[in-house]
Amino acid sequence: MKFMENTKINFMAFKSFGFAFSSVLAIGSIIVLLTGVNLGIDFKGGTAVGVSFSEEISIQEVRTSLKSVSVDNKVYDLSSEEIKYFGDKNDVMIKIKSLDNEPENFGQIVINHLYDSLKEKAPADKNEFILSLGSVSPKVGSELSGKALWSVISALVLILFYISVRFEFKFALGAILALVHDVVITLGVFSLTGYEITLSTVAAFLTIVGYSLNDTIVILDRIRENMKSSGTVMFESTINKSINQSLSRTLITSLTTLLVIMVLLLYGGEVIQPFSFTMLVGVIIGTYSSIYIASALLAYIYQTSK
Amino acid sequence: MNSAIRNRLLLILFIFSLGVYALLPSIRYALMDDNDISNLSEEQLNYFETKSIKQGLDLKGGIYIVLEVDLPQLVDNLAKNKDKKFNEFLEKLRNDYNDSTLDFFTLFEDEAEKREIKLPRYFISYGKTKEQIISELSLQSDDSIKRVIEIIQNRVDQFGVSEPTIQKQGNNRVIVELAGIKDPERARDLLQSTALLELMIVKNIESTTSLIRQIDNVAKGSIEDNEEGIDELFSEQESSQNLSFSSKLISVGGDLAVSSDELLSLKEIIGQDEVKQILEATNSLILTSNSSINLINDFGEEEEFYRLYHLFDNAELTGGVIEDAQMRLSQSGVTAGQAVVQVEMNSEGSREWARITGANINNRIAIVLDRKVHMAPVIRSQIFGGGTVIEGLDSIEEAEDIAIVLRAGALPVPVNIAEERTVGASLGADSVSQGTLSMIIGLFLVVIFLVIFYRLSGLIASFSVMWTLILLLGVLALLEATLTLPGIAGLILTVGMSVDANVIIFERIKEELRNGKSVRSAIDSGYERAITTIVDANLTTGIAAAVLYQYGSGPIKGFATVLFWGIVVSMFTAIIVTRFIFDFTTSSRNIEKLSI
Repeated sequence: MKFMENTKINFMAFKSFGFAFSSVLAIGSIIVLLTGVNLGIDFKGGTAVGVSFSEEISIQEVRTSLKSVSVDNKVYDLSSEEIKYFGDKNDVMIKIKSLDNEPENFGQIVINHLYDSLKEKAPADKNEFILSLGSVSPKVGSELSGKALWSVISALVLILFYISVRFEFKFALGAILALVHDVVITLGVFSLTGYEITLSTVAAFLTIVGYSLNDTIVILDRIRENMKSSGTVMFESTINKSINQSLSRTLITSLTTLLVIMVLLLYGGEVIQPFSFTMLVGVIIGTYSSIYIASALLAYIYQTSK
Repeated sequence: MNSAIRNRLLLILFIFSLGVYALLPSIRYALMDDNDISNLSEEQLNYFETKSIKQGLDLKGGIYIVLEVDLPQLVDNLAKNKDKKFNEFLEKLRNDYNDSTLDFFTLFEDEAEKREIKLPRYFISYGKTKEQIISELSLQSDDSIKRVIEIIQNRVDQFGVSEPTIQKQGNNRVIVELAGIKDPERARDLLQSTALLELMIVKNIESTTSLIRQIDNVAKGSIEDNEEGIDELFSEQESSQNLSFSSKLISVGGDLAVSSDELLSLKEIIGQDEVKQILEATNSLILTSNSSINLINDFGEEEEFYRLYHLFDNAELTGGVIEDAQMRLSQSGVTAGQAVVQVEMNSEGSREWARITGANINNRIAIVLDRKVHMAPVIRSQIFGGGTVIEGLDSIEEAEDIAIVLRAGALPVPVNIAEERTVGASLGADSVSQGTLSMIIGLFLVVIFLVIFYRLSGLIASFSVMWTLILLLGVLALLEATLTLPGIAGLILTVGMSVDANVIIFERIKEELRNGKSVRSAIDSGYERAITTIVDANLTTGIAAAVLYQYGSGPIKGFATVLFWGIVVSMFTAIIVTRFIFDFTTSSRNIEKLSI
């Protein structure tokens, strides 16, 4: 099938528009991120419990039940903690901030309390009631965030180094900026939708980094190849030519990947949903940024250095 | 067939069969139903479990716990001559340590210096200078983490979990992973209980009465002093705090008991410095019973009470002498039919036990587990042979678990849960079935897509993508890796990159064909040009994967492993396998048109 062959689209004509568009998206995302990233317990510390009732239950019922949880004769009011449905209306997820002098096994205590106080709606076997329980001490939380951040930063630095060696530093700059652009915007969209950032979603963000990088390198590789014959004269047209030459590949790969992700989003189930959603946004942004960030930045750099 | 092509075919067939061979146990294991699995011998089961791809806890359900050795408590246990200054120092240290990512002994040294704590005063048996003491204490902490790991290993082994993982993390943590656990609450208790068994003599009524009088005197005074300073938050508790120590106690069949509502304020009184001093001076220890009793109070309501015991503070015997502990059902007496734990001691313990029981006839001896009194029978006669029984357990499971922890030994220092992730079996199973289904649908769509775009060549690409997955899973099986949710993310990215590599190659070949080259030379130069792109793209991603593996924790590491091997495998299938198919089909016949 002939698909997008011999196109001659002047991509670079819209590069200012692309930069403006990206800047708006990126600034918007940063504002969203500053006003409140929904960090999961992995990074903040705290307790998250998921429970499965045998029939539908209202959030209000759970909230009322959590108004007084007593442990060793101390009463805790957890009604203002985050409570939401998980999948269908039988399953509820409760996220509790970490407390000072938190009693031992607090998550289990909360589960037991819910099980006892809402017994008529809970399954007979308590072990079927427990969907998940996660607890992270604030100390471990800050360690995990530090580690995640450190690993991402060192990966970016090494990539920068590799591309500088294989291509040129100018290429590397564009590639890294495109990566940062993708991650920031995807994070912004992700936060807007209210999903929370956990270690698993970090893996999804890394997947985007991998994908976006792959996409960028393919185009940069074409530009490098075409530069051999045409040099940096008429650099914009060289870039346009390269993008057009790899356009069918870019679109086919993106469409195939998007197809798989759409299936995951529709049929993959509740646990994997934040992951699929991140990928969906990331792949679209990643494809776009290869053209309008990585390549366009090269055009700017060569324009000013001339 | 020329020899170059034959050699390539042999190499490819060799690698393919290696991949299939590595995957075979996983496939056979996955196809077995519960009945088949229960028919396997232990050896076979072990074979399948190690050789097949394991599912992570997020997929299979189970419990992941990071236990942290309570270093402040360890130091507290090792210190002698503790005074108010030291207790305040330790309290501050404990809070700082919980909020900091610094090493415990660094904080310890800084804080000791700041507060001008004279360490030799409290730790004289560990050295004369600060440096000596700190290095000796950190040796002690290393030693205790080693023992903690050993003991937890023992407990888990006896609990009977398939493929448990127990490993040390950093200086003072142990990661325990138990897959497929049905009852997380029970497993957690089993791991975390210190299991310190102590046999202690109960003090007589006269000394108890005098102790209560002494406590009443100081505790009352101290509460009055405190009253002005009491925070408003605690105002609810004020009323009960105003009452004296003795007024909280009632007498239940010769024992003292305290209502569960008063338990906390009672413990607060015992925790006061003045009361501590009295207890220390009289070698006394006050502990409560492990289980409560329900009594009708003056108002005719049922109320929960805990028995209170006044003991000599040094244990006559500890769990160290235990040789064996078994759950059994009591045969006689008032406890008939209840689960009890029968404890057998080693010869040294038996001798001691005979001496203690002989010397304390008509006294009561308390059997204390983790600072809770399980029972306190009167010694009627000297006991030879080193046997004793622990009663007062709620269920058979509890008795079984106590037997396990007693056999495995006591933890040298308490452990806290620093991190826990429990996934219920049902949630895990849902994720697996939905994940697998969507992977299959996804792959199917990819194949259709590739065939629409590239016709016969699309089939070749699909073939290579399929083999990428098979080989990657084979590598994971060989590495005995565990597949988690982020790992599946890595699989999807690998499929994406593998499709992409094929697309890059095909687009290049098409371009060469458009430029008027023959099929043969279009394939050659198409591959040649595509390879640089593919290698660059994959190597960059590979670098990222390697770094993530190096620095990342848990889930990120799993993702990185899959991604790294995915890159290796997809480069092999895209560059070598598909190339071979093109070369093979075009070398034997003279093809003029490529189905691409």
